[in-house]
Amino acid sequence: MTSGTGPIPKISLQNITKRFTVRPSKDNPDGAVLTALDGISLDVSAGEFITLVGPSGSGKTTLLDLLAGLTKPDSGKVLVDGREVAGPGRDRAVVFQQYALFPWRTAAANVSFGLEGAGSDGKRYTRKERAEKAREYLGLVGLGGFEDRYPHELSGGMKQRVAIARSLAYEPDILLMDEPFAALDAQTREQLQTELLRIWATTGKTIIFITHGIDEAVYLGQRVAVLSSRPGRLKEIVDIDLGDRSGDEDVRSNPAFVEHRHKVWSLLHDEVRRAQAAGHAKIQPDGTAPDETRTITTGKAA
Amino acid sequence: MSTPTLTKETETRPGPAATAGDAAKEWNPALRPGSGKTPAARLRLYARQGGNAVWGAGAIILFLLLWELGPTYLAPASTRVFLPPLHVVLEALGTLIANGQLQNHLAASLSRSASGFGIAVVSAVALGLLVAWYGALDRFLNPLLEVFRNTAALALLPVFTLLLGIGETSKISIVAYAAFFPVLLNTIAGVRTVDPLLIRAARSLGLSNFQLFQKVILPSAVPTIFTGIRMAGTSSILVLIAAEMVGAKAGLGYLIVNSQMSFLIPDMYAGILTVSLLGLLVNYLLVGVERHFSRWRTAVGSRTA
Repeated sequence: MTSGTGPIPKISLQNITKRFTVRPSKDNPDGAVLTALDGISLDVSAGEFITLVGPSGSGKTTLLDLLAGLTKPDSGKVLVDGREVAGPGRDRAVVFQQYALFPWRTAAANVSFGLEGAGSDGKRYTRKERAEKAREYLGLVGLGGFEDRYPHELSGGMKQRVAIARSLAYEPDILLMDEPFAALDAQTREQLQTELLRIWATTGKTIIFITHGIDEAVYLGQRVAVLSSRPGRLKEIVDIDLGDRSGDEDVRSNPAFVEHRHKVWSLLHDEVRRAQAAGHAKIQPDGTAPDETRTITTGKAA
Repeated sequence: MSTPTLTKETETRPGPAATAGDAAKEWNPALRPGSGKTPAARLRLYARQGGNAVWGAGAIILFLLLWELGPTYLAPASTRVFLPPLHVVLEALGTLIANGQLQNHLAASLSRSASGFGIAVVSAVALGLLVAWYGALDRFLNPLLEVFRNTAALALLPVFTLLLGIGETSKISIVAYAAFFPVLLNTIAGVRTVDPLLIRAARSLGLSNFQLFQKVILPSAVPTIFTGIRMAGTSSILVLIAAEMVGAKAGLGYLIVNSQMSFLIPDMYAGILTVSLLGLLVNYLLVGVERHFSRWRTAVGSRTA
């Protein structure tokens, strides 16, 4: 399950288990304990691009929250550079599906948000340096000239570009991306996927990319980690070798891509069916799961 | 393609620049309405705007005409005494301004409502932020606040007068009381309705509680707080006039009641006219301030509407 190349992997998940206490509801007055992640172990080496696929409710977002330091595991360890994650930090950046831009700030001010105040190394940027950085990173994501636009003046794809620029601007080693392109139309999504690969190649970040799209997972990832339906376990890691993806050819139609895609699809297929039968839905950030009352009744049968 | 940078990008990287270019095309006309139109079209636009302005002012003009002509031609002579035509009222207003009386009353009213309003805004915003941030404080205070909020400010006027006398203190206090609740409730609502995703995003950047408050919660709540401040501005004037009618030696409310009792009917209407103009002006100013602070939000509304 591990494939770290160096002596210390960049990210190391060691036997992670995370449970949520479901809030008591009318049908289920005592509440219940819901295991979102169960015994996940995974090593990611520096500069790697790994994608995570899994059916709804398999704990993908929970895993990302653990990596971001927004929650803590109930057992097991999350290590980054060999040190346990104690909380959020500027060595990791999160890109959310809903962009999470600050609507009262211009694109440039959004990008420089993470640069305000003292960084982890105590470095402070002046206003001018921040503006310079914002321009630089907006340029990197192809939004040069849009510095003074407010988020409401930008399209979905452009907003996500700003969000990516914001995450890159404070120079984290790791990018954690939670279905970042799921809300975009197909054409914009494909553009941003190509862009992301280019940014990855130029910046050398370690990227953990969560998606429910098999094509997206296979296209972007060097490895695809497939999670099982709830409780989320690591079902299999598929190594993807598509050769050079930076060329202009249509990678998605080459035989290697189709083969990998089919492999991930068959791994995921059973899990998706199982999750659907159990009626799993997304676990909310506050630990509630709207489907949980149903899971308890049908989960036993499954 | 509006800027050179974009054109350059089109040559080097077709993919992303296409999005950026399309977006620029899409937005530039929207940002500069009226640009690139023929003179004839522009003339039509102005004509339509002018027509709209006349239509918008129509009701006011009709009302003023009715006020001017109605008492003379429609009302019986006995009523005419109590309802002088507009020009008589305006003459009285001119006299009041000329001898400086109106300015004195206006200054008295303004200083009272400004003091009360200022006290209310500062204390209500501070308390609102505290209540919204600490859930326990909210659960403790909320029932009491509900009781006070639903007690009409003017119902408490006798209490204020008994305890604080008929001087400035009681008037400023009742204005502060009336203006306090809109600001408080809107501040609480503003902090409560911050998008949780933005808080998550800020947390993932490692912001402390204080930074989170200062950089995410407060700016996000500002438009809602200003809505409360605007409502408070209106109610502070309404309540003040009523308070001045009950017991005062100066102020617009006093002017109105005193003129009525001295049978100076045109002066009374001049006072009323001043009150409504003052209310309009205050509301207009506060709407302007509110709009300034919620540019990013109102723009969203107008775009999607």
